[in-house]
Amino acid sequence: MGRLFVLAVVLGLVSTGCKRSSEEQGTAGRTRIVFKFQPLWGDPAPFRELLAGYSRANPDVELVTEALPNSSDLAHQFFLTSLQGKATDFDVLVADVVWVPEFARAGWVADLSEDFPPARLREEFLPGPVDSVVVEGRTYAVPWYVDVGVLYYRTDLVPRAPRTYEELRRFTRDAMAKAPGIQGYVWQGRQYEGLTCNVYEALWGHGGQSLGEDGRVLLETEAAREALAYLHGLIADGLSPPTVTGFGEEEARRVFQEGRAVFMRNWPYAWSEAQAEGSPIRGKVGIAPLPTKDGQPGWGTLGGWQLAVNAHVSPARRKAAARLIAHLTSPEANRVLALHYARNPPRLALYDDPGLRRAEPFIASLKDALVRARPRPVTPYYLLIADVLQSEFSAAVAGIRTPEASLTRAQKQVDHLTGETVEDAQ
Amino acid sequence: MSGGGSQARERRQAYLLVMPAVLVLAVVALYPVLAALWLSLHRFILVFGERRFTGLANYVYLFGDARFWSALGNTAYFTAVAVTVELLLAVPLALLLNRAFPGRGLLRASVLVPWAIPTVVSARLWAWMFNPDYGLINRLLGGADINWLGAPGYALHAAILVDVWKTTPFVALLVLAGLQGIPEDLYKAARVDGASPWRQFRAITVPLLKPALLLAVLFRSLDAFRVFDAIYVLTEGGPANTTETLSIYAYKTLMRSGDFGYGSALSVMTFLCVVLLAVVWLKWLGREEGRR
Amino acid sequence: MKRPGLGTALAVVAFLTFFLGPFLWQVLTSLWPDGELTRPWPSHLTGANYQSVLFGRPFLWAVLNSLVVATLTTLFCLTVGASAAFALAKLEFRGRGLLLSAALGVSMFPPIATVSPLYLILNAVGLRDSLVGLALPYTTFALPLTLWVLTSFFRQLPDELYRAARVDGCTPFGAFRRVLLPLAAPGLATTAILVFIFAWNEFLYALTFLSTPEKRTVPVAISLFASEYKEPWGEIAAASVVATLPLVVLTVLFQRRIVSGLTAGAVKE
Repeated sequence: MGRLFVLAVVLGLVSTGCKRSSEEQGTAGRTRIVFKFQPLWGDPAPFRELLAGYSRANPDVELVTEALPNSSDLAHQFFLTSLQGKATDFDVLVADVVWVPEFARAGWVADLSEDFPPARLREEFLPGPVDSVVVEGRTYAVPWYVDVGVLYYRTDLVPRAPRTYEELRRFTRDAMAKAPGIQGYVWQGRQYEGLTCNVYEALWGHGGQSLGEDGRVLLETEAAREALAYLHGLIADGLSPPTVTGFGEEEARRVFQEGRAVFMRNWPYAWSEAQAEGSPIRGKVGIAPLPTKDGQPGWGTLGGWQLAVNAHVSPARRKAAARLIAHLTSPEANRVLALHYARNPPRLALYDDPGLRRAEPFIASLKDALVRARPRPVTPYYLLIADVLQSEFSAAVAGIRTPEASLTRAQKQVDHLTGETVEDAQ
Repeated sequence: MSGGGSQARERRQAYLLVMPAVLVLAVVALYPVLAALWLSLHRFILVFGERRFTGLANYVYLFGDARFWSALGNTAYFTAVAVTVELLLAVPLALLLNRAFPGRGLLRASVLVPWAIPTVVSARLWAWMFNPDYGLINRLLGGADINWLGAPGYALHAAILVDVWKTTPFVALLVLAGLQGIPEDLYKAARVDGASPWRQFRAITVPLLKPALLLAVLFRSLDAFRVFDAIYVLTEGGPANTTETLSIYAYKTLMRSGDFGYGSALSVMTFLCVVLLAVVWLKWLGREEGRR
Repeated sequence: MKRPGLGTALAVVAFLTFFLGPFLWQVLTSLWPDGELTRPWPSHLTGANYQSVLFGRPFLWAVLNSLVVATLTTLFCLTVGASAAFALAKLEFRGRGLLLSAALGVSMFPPIATVSPLYLILNAVGLRDSLVGLALPYTTFALPLTLWVLTSFFRQLPDELYRAARVDGCTPFGAFRRVLLPLAAPGLATTAILVFIFAWNEFLYALTFLSTPEKRTVPVAISLFASEYKEPWGEIAAASVVATLPLVVLTVLFQRRIVSGLTAGAVKE
């Protein structure tokens, strides 16, 4: 036993020692920068080639990539703890749309306005992503790829895409009568960020806004009440399966893909899977903007990732990092991500690019939905309140509390977290 | 024993010998608890470096925070049900292990397996058993469609089952040690008097086992009250916070939201609840000891 | 030995199924071909999950990290705890009972109660996200455990030994080091096994204080073993088996010791 312990300690120390020595300085005085991102899935070769392009153009920089946890919550926790600890072991990081205001206010990400002036971003990129990376007139990140919530429907079971919530309910009921055993409308109802996206889409669809004029996060509104009642009603009336309260993106996609659902709310990634060779619903799927109360096209929640620079690293590394971001957000890089990884480009011009329109007509067709995409409440406190929103929305959707009670509780907690109540008292 | 000088020296050496342990405990346990108390009197948003003294404001908010009360309720329910079921299973298991039969060694070794498995691993293992589509449990129920971890009424009970599986062995071993402390002569005398096995159990086993049982309840309830690992892995507190315990709520507030002030207030409340529970149990235990 | 009745046999089978069944199911899952998990039964068994866990992911790092942290914790607690346990068992001094109860009290602390200050402390001294820094908070539960188990072992050693050593001219510390410590070797081994298992299994501190993926311990690695869109159940099962097997072997080999150690602190008091 004792000898085993000693061996283990020795092994451990040696191995950590090895790792240490390779950190920080690259070989032969080159600047070493580390890029932290989540795997893009698919064939790694085109992305590797894209990175190699940067290395060729910047022979003085040694570029290293490191993987992040896949779940957005966990990736955020990683950045929270390491950036708070002033970590300098990575230079370029990916940030979810809702993180940038927080990171900027905390002073964790560098001001990139010089290399990427806000005015230029507004000209070249979709409006939603730009709103989420420009904080108080300064650029803190550059959009990398974008995502938006859309409605999938079965062209063989419904006459056309529903425009209103009433139509959605009617079409679902009719299809369920026609095809017994089918599950109706599936969406993301588990207690996690995906649920918040679904609720905000319903909130906007009922004519609501996420922020008040004074920037306060508004929850006790008529639209929010109607939105929660609508989502809970789908389950209560049997138009969505009761298991939807445990669904994330993939659970919903699996049910829809197996041909067991009429409608699905999801991100565009589900399209290629649904249309893949051997998929039971291949050729029977349509995609449309989400329905709304009054029938105008709905607003999907904006998703996607931005690239930012760690504010704690040295100026030399910052420069190299900014060059990497410019390289990875160029029109050419946008095209690589669209063609090989089905990631939607944030650059407007790409949607009119004939090559892309021909090769990926589906991606090009999402332009309208992306222009209309809305961010969740833009506030530096978003991550503080996200947990509250998830739990109170979950309670209302699962029918544990009435929408009124959930929203009252949520508003109270959100006001407390953002300091509204404290300010009021002063 | 030599004179008083030697005794004084012995005492001095004793203090020297325990000093390192005392210092370590003070640094890693006493100081952090006091520091948490101090932090809980602030509004402290870690990421923005926002930190100002707000007195009891966090506690005032806490008492009106419905989410805190529901977490407290969940924790209490989890503790009460889990510990009760564990006792109900552990006593027969211990009685069994106390008897001589072929395969006893095998049984004793195998009940230790769940105990030795890391809680996280056992939670992952059960999450797969609970999987609504392909999990073993729904398969055994003939293709049932129960959403064990996703439906509000089921999830907390699923978590309790995981805890029962993992810790019943520990309770059984405590009970077994108590059983082995009961003199065999008492049973012999009872048999001579013609007492039935059930009567022997009621008249001898139960009263003499009581201290061991109370001790098991003390250890287990304090342990169950701080439950974190299993629930974090199984449900992260969902669905709709129906499995959110105090530890989970405090952890999310601290590490997900970065609200160190209110998060610390929640931690302090968890700590106080455990202390209260311990005091109550120890009082009871003391009374039982006194009665004997 | 009495012939076991039908009732006993049934009870044994029921308990065995309940306690071993889930683990065996996990072993079976780990050998199940990936694409076939939706089927009622695998067509054949495969080692593919083990291969991808051991060589396709940084899981072996996690095993090594856990080994380092658990070993550091064990060595540290034995070093600090052995002399204190000896003093608590054999020497007269004021505050003895208080110290033992304090140790018991500390072992009952909910870890969440100390996590926020420990985070700030470790951050301030630059030990957050390091394995050495993680071993420090581990002493909150490991040192009390050490004190209790070891104290009860030292108590079982006859007082005469200690007195004889003192008469021979040993100081109390000399008596501890030369006479009692060697005799307590089985107790030290038991304590080491227990502390090692507890440290190996710890989750909350490891989850909070470590952020670099390469530094994760086994429980953290297994809890984060997921991807956004798909749960790799087969690989999780394989990793669980790898993480658990050493403990199961250790436990079965030393079951008597572990049982006596676990119950020593509790019941004999």
